[in-house]
Amino acid sequence: MKNKASVVIVGGGITGTSTAFSLAKRGVKDIVLIEREGLASGATGRCGAGIRQQWGTFQNCLLARESMKVFENFQEVLGTDIDIELKQKGYLLLAYSEKEMDQFRRNVEVQHQLDIPSRLVSCREAKEIVPFLNTEKMLGGAFCPTDGHANPFLATKAYAKAAERLGVEILMKTEVKAITVVNDRIKGVHTSQGFIETDKVVNAAGGWSAQIGEMAGLHLPVYSERHEILVTEPVNPIMDPMVMSFSYNIYCQQTPHGSFIMGYGPQNEPRGYNVNATWQFLETMARKAAWLLPPLKNMRIVRQWAGLYNMSPDRQPIVCESEIVKGFFMGIGFSGHGFMIAPAVGTLLADLITGSPLTWDVVLDLGRYDRHETIAEPSVV
Amino acid sequence: MITCDLLVIGGGPAGISAAVAAGKAGLKVLLLEERERLGGQLTKQTHRFFGSVAERAGTRGIAIIKDLETVVAQLENVEISLSTTALGIYEDGVSTALKSGKMIKIKPKAIVVATGAFEKFLPFENNDLPGVYGAGAVQTLMNIYGVLPARRILMIGSGNIGLIVSYQLVQAGAEVVGVIEASPKIGGYLVHASKIRRLGIPIYPSCTIKKAFGQDRVVGAELVRLDEKWKEIPGSQFTVDCDAICLAVGLNPLIDLLGQSGCQFKYIPELGGQVPIRDESMRTNVPHLYIAGDLSSIEEATAALLEGELAGLSAAKQIRPGQSLEARMEEVKTHLRALRSGPVGEKIRSGLSKLTGEALPTPSPRTNAIDELSRTGIASPANLAGVLPDEKRKKTRAYAVIECYQQIPCDPCVHNCPFGAIKPFSDINDLPIVDFDLCTGCGQCIGRCPGLAIFTVDETRDGDRAKITLPYEFLPKPVREETVDLLDRSGKCVGQGVVKSVLNTPKQDKTTIVTVEIHRNLVQDVRQIRVVQKS
Ligand SMILES: Cc1cc2nc3c(=O)[nH]c(=O)nc-3n(C[C@H](O)[C@H](O)[C@H](O)COP(=O)(O)OP(=O)(O)OC[C@H]3O[C@@H](n4cnc5c(N)ncnc54)[C@H](O)[C@@H]3O)c2cc1C
Ligand SMILES: Cc1cc2nc3c(=O)[nH]c(=O)nc-3n(C[C@H](O)[C@H](O)[C@H](O)COP(=O)(O)OP(=O)(O)OC[C@H]3O[C@@H](n4cnc5c(N)ncnc54)[C@H](O)[C@@H]3O)c2cc1C
Repeated sequence: MKNKASVVIVGGGITGTSTAFSLAKRGVKDIVLIEREGLASGATGRCGAGIRQQWGTFQNCLLARESMKVFENFQEVLGTDIDIELKQKGYLLLAYSEKEMDQFRRNVEVQHQLDIPSRLVSCREAKEIVPFLNTEKMLGGAFCPTDGHANPFLATKAYAKAAERLGVEILMKTEVKAITVVNDRIKGVHTSQGFIETDKVVNAAGGWSAQIGEMAGLHLPVYSERHEILVTEPVNPIMDPMVMSFSYNIYCQQTPHGSFIMGYGPQNEPRGYNVNATWQFLETMARKAAWLLPPLKNMRIVRQWAGLYNMSPDRQPIVCESEIVKGFFMGIGFSGHGFMIAPAVGTLLADLITGSPLTWDVVLDLGRYDRHETIAEPSVV
Repeated sequence: MITCDLLVIGGGPAGISAAVAAGKAGLKVLLLEERERLGGQLTKQTHRFFGSVAERAGTRGIAIIKDLETVVAQLENVEISLSTTALGIYEDGVSTALKSGKMIKIKPKAIVVATGAFEKFLPFENNDLPGVYGAGAVQTLMNIYGVLPARRILMIGSGNIGLIVSYQLVQAGAEVVGVIEASPKIGGYLVHASKIRRLGIPIYPSCTIKKAFGQDRVVGAELVRLDEKWKEIPGSQFTVDCDAICLAVGLNPLIDLLGQSGCQFKYIPELGGQVPIRDESMRTNVPHLYIAGDLSSIEEATAALLEGELAGLSAAKQIRPGQSLEARMEEVKTHLRALRSGPVGEKIRSGLSKLTGEALPTPSPRTNAIDELSRTGIASPANLAGVLPDEKRKKTRAYAVIECYQQIPCDPCVHNCPFGAIKPFSDINDLPIVDFDLCTGCGQCIGRCPGLAIFTVDETRDGDRAKITLPYEFLPKPVREETVDLLDRSGKCVGQGVVKSVLNTPKQDKTTIVTVEIHRNLVQDVRQIRVVQKS
């Protein structure tokens, strides 16, 4: 293990590995990434890994579209032969009220400014896309054929391997225990394997990012919340897009190898780090899925689990350098959509760390909360 | 939501025993069993169980389970749900199970998990060919469904399971081409090894499998000898023809359900691998969660029954305090300690001391001259000399020869002598010692020995004729005055004899007691007969 590093990245999820890769690609040497367990053991390996460009704010559409470009060309961009099982068969968003339909209409306009090929669909068109969809009570929806999903384990592994090839040292089963800050500057990181001297730390610790903040003396405005998910036995391909509804509260996809993966947002979930699965989720999920997608009622569930959403005040990511502690960078608070924008987030963090101008004109800093410039994104799960 | 005091998951001996103990203590118990009937491993054990008579040893596994079923059926407050698979134990104490294709929910006050174990696999070339079986699967096919999976079988592993399944395969009409064992010594009880040696089955210690041969099914195997460091000896490969390879290389506790419940584990190879951490009363780190049986450590049915009882009593004590259950709990713990106190309990003892940190008392090592026997499964003349009466006594009356040379926790013989001629044990691991002044050679003990290691010899008559009486568990049964082949301890035919009596009453429970008249020079060699097939 190195005892000196130019940058120490905390967290081996999609954010940490993507940042490690982007930094190394720019020629930064002596980068160390520290992961307490294994790669993708946090939210990344537990997520739905949906990639949606159908957002309501220009900035989110941009981040998602730019990230999708990377996912589409992953092997080339990373120089890897790992296939991340990207399936681009679209996201079908369902509307159950006029208000929702209006929102989709406005969103599609924003999306078109960025050439995202989304469109509004009627119930009949929705049924053409997913023939067994129950359109009862539905008013219509929106569809973007280039949205999709990928395999989060393979994506993280590909980033990590590419970063290692460029000289990044990745330490697994190693925990960051404390961070030394002197005169509001980062001096080093204490790990379970020893001390690493550094003046730059990247907090990419997902659900545990508030703890890493505390280590540097910072109260970051994020908290964690359990979200559950399940996977079924694999069956023949019968459903192309990710089907999702904000108001009915569900998302459901069929992976290339045939399993269905699905979840919904919990009600009244207390803040905390609990990732136990519940039987209540099984019952509610089964009821929801069987109503909306009736053939699924005959499928067997093979596994259920939970992961942490790291929530920020406006449900939008925080990607910036701390204004209080110099050298403390963060990519946190993804609030349930950190996988799909991770390639762009890695690029932005690399911009910040190398002192380059931001690749895209976005506002994701912590200061936005003090400035009352919170991001008003209408389309969050 | 179904409610009850105690939920028991798994209807093997451990689970049933827990349900019975808790039921007798007045708890409302629900017992879930995945299969369509109770019994776990016992449902396919057609052999007589070794172990403690108090725990029904000496009877066949399938008979033990009938007894247990009767006992549990009499308890009105114990409900049994068959064909019900427990799916999860959740953080709020609710368990889910699959019954008739539906998920049911149960909210008990406490849970005993007794899900048993699953078989280990072995890496070798072509191990995915049809014809490579687990020993448990072979036993299930053969003893539950009446299907013989193959004709010529190679058994991998000489633990009790490998030895017993080999014996049962021969009973079912198959041929076992050999039992191989990587260690230099036979792993299972030597009485079981001797039982298959005298059927002519070779045992190869210090030997392992390299690969299976065959295109679309097994047709043979390549084996290789190992040196004392378990390294392959170059050039020592040899091949055998067989149409099935049966793996009996150990079991792993089935811990999945516990993993979800937050139970902590420790890797202890002596106990079977990843095992739940628990205290002496079978309590885990999760409140109200208890375990028992092979899930807690790979042992045998006697231990499973005792641990089950302990877990059931612990749960009862927690849910309904005020009952005086401590005395019985202490008694059960004492039984368990005694069971594990002998030389074959060494492994379990060291495993348990790793688990609890407390050292179990080691008995003073009694040296047995069984080195040769543990390599071959064949008793030496020196072994034999130690269990025979003196020449004068031989002439006066018939006598029993108990060829049990290894200290194992097993005591049915002591309880089955009508004359009290087998000295009472102070410890279940004691070796049987015959008091030849009391022994009449009546042969009552023969059919009760789970090792089939007892024979009686009658050499009182003058002339060259003598009689040997031995247990016989094969078909066809011999008939009186029939001439049969005489086999020695290695299965070699050493002559012929005439059957003088065949005892096959229901009480014998299929262990036929056969007396054969043979040449007197052969009385200490003949240990098996073979019915000559008439063409
Ligand atoms: C059920 C569910 C479904 C989701 N579905 C989607 C989806 O469809 N699309 C989408 O884009 N997003 C989705 N998300 C969100 C997405 O998973 C996350 O936003 C994203 O994975 C965050 O990645 P990360 O690398 O920032 O964090 P994580 O993947 O959580 O990685 C953080 C890592 O930091 C490590 N760590 C923490 N503390 C320490 C320490 N002290 N020392 C060393 N290492 C430490 C952890 O072990 C962990 O591996 C979903 C999330 C969940 C839970
Ligand atoms: C070939 C062989 C010979 C043996 N000979 C002897 C002997 O001579 N003497 C002796 O004392 N012991 C012997 N044993 C060992 C003895 O059979 C076991 O130690 C004993 O059966 C263990 O009991 P148990 O209740 O812990 O597990 P099991 O008997 O394995 O029972 C576990 C039960 O749990 C059920 N179950 C598992 N998962 C679930 C779930 N999720 N939901 C519901 N139910 C579930 C299973 O279907 C099974 O019925 C032998 C074993 C074998 C394989």
